[in-house]
Amino acid sequence: MTIEPAVMPAAMPAAMKVRGVSKTYRDGSRTVKALEGADVDIPDGNFVSIVGPSACGKSTLLNLFCGLDKPDSGSIEAPVLGNGDLLGRIGYMPQQDTLMPWRNVTDNVTVGLECLGCGREDARRRAREHMDRFGLSGFELSYPGQLSGGMRQRVAMLRTFLCGRRINLLDEPFGKLDAITRASMQSWLLDYWQDNRCTIVFVTHDIDEALFLSDVVHLMCPRPGRITLSLEVDIPRPRKYEDVVTSAHFNGLKATLLQSLGRDG
Amino acid sequence: MKSGLWPPLLLGAGIIAAWEIYVRAAGIDPLLLPPPSAVARYLAENAQIMVSNGAATLTELLVGFFCGAIIGLSLGILMQAWRWFREAAYPWLVATQMVPIPAVAPILVLWFGFTIVPKAATVALMCFFPVAVNTVDGLSAVNPELIRLLRTFGAGPWRVTSMAALPSALPRIFSGLRVAMALSVVGAVVGEWVGSTHGLGYLMLHFENRGETAGLFATVAVLTVMGIILFFLVGWAENWALSWKRYAKETL
Repeated sequence: MTIEPAVMPAAMPAAMKVRGVSKTYRDGSRTVKALEGADVDIPDGNFVSIVGPSACGKSTLLNLFCGLDKPDSGSIEAPVLGNGDLLGRIGYMPQQDTLMPWRNVTDNVTVGLECLGCGREDARRRAREHMDRFGLSGFELSYPGQLSGGMRQRVAMLRTFLCGRRINLLDEPFGKLDAITRASMQSWLLDYWQDNRCTIVFVTHDIDEALFLSDVVHLMCPRPGRITLSLEVDIPRPRKYEDVVTSAHFNGLKATLLQSLGRDG
Repeated sequence: MKSGLWPPLLLGAGIIAAWEIYVRAAGIDPLLLPPPSAVARYLAENAQIMVSNGAATLTELLVGFFCGAIIGLSLGILMQAWRWFREAAYPWLVATQMVPIPAVAPILVLWFGFTIVPKAATVALMCFFPVAVNTVDGLSAVNPELIRLLRTFGAGPWRVTSMAALPSALPRIFSGLRVAMALSVVGAVVGEWVGSTHGLGYLMLHFENRGETAGLFATVAVLTVMGIILFFLVGWAENWALSWKRYAKETL
């Protein structure tokens, strides 16, 4: 089922509500219209993906979501969090893993909790409880430089999730991983999300990844960045990677997205 | 020092041996260039004087070094925190390094007398600058993405500095500290030349005036060994503080 434009029916309470958001920034001497009139609803507890080609404004939108930047016009609200500044209240996992090379795995994971005022020892104890689930057991005392790309991403993800935020934004978390590691991380993330229901906004340029993971896929087109299509992914959960990505229904949804990309992109 | 102490020690021994042979063979006046054996004899016979004066210089040097390091670090952090302060202060900090230390030192003696203060101040004056400059550079090299991440965790500027900027600046800060330590030996001696009653710098003047060249060489030798040990102590502290660097494949 496709709904145009991006506003979903108000059946579920919205975790985030974005209305008419525009953002222009200066890149040297030229001005770049990164977003123009973007409307999105993120239903509470949903896994929502934002897909689009490189430089279509996805990261700009995420920066607005987590309050790091302010829109030039329009509004961004998080009704489930109440009123107030979004900065510091929404989980965010940046594209780079941004691990601190001088801290070991445990102490990298606790960074978020420490910022929130949690004591070091208390934070470490809570981190250790999750090491196994995140496949980091035995690596608690390793330094980031000793880890593989997939493990580094899991450290960064645990750092974000450990803060227990109701809304979490993930910016191309698997973008730099090889295809096999990527598929296993996707399945792992879905399992984790199914057990710990929170709202996830997942940015990617990989259509397969977005469809496999999400309840809703929002398609973005560049210059200026805007949402051109919102697609509800009615594939039943729990989803198994090899079954889902080979199914006819999956390919039908994929065709819809690709056609829209070809038309607007 | 992977290959160990042997290469530098062997080279040093070779130079000393050549020096000894040259002085003896050419019949050089020991007042102009004493043979190493005479310097060694002088050191052995006057060990007491060397130790007590060396201790005085070491104290001045360490007090000055730590004061200079703390001042440099604080200035660096403040200059990084406030852009206006950096712009206002930077030319003046450079100016402090343009003033010749031998010209400043007598004024310090005039103000503080024949105490430890003018010597430590001279050392601090030379030390703070490399530390401040390297701190500013190191702090501004922190990954901006990491700062943004910490802000989404609700971190304020102080936490961003202590948690991300300072640790990532630490390698640069240690480079500054090593340069500062090398300068501080010169600073302490210059401070003593201008006005003191003890210390290795004082001892040098004393031997020079009395034409005791062997004593002068012995004092320089003590000062050199002290400086080298201090320099490598900073390097050792750096290795200890930055032990994680062994594992860092990429810089952040």
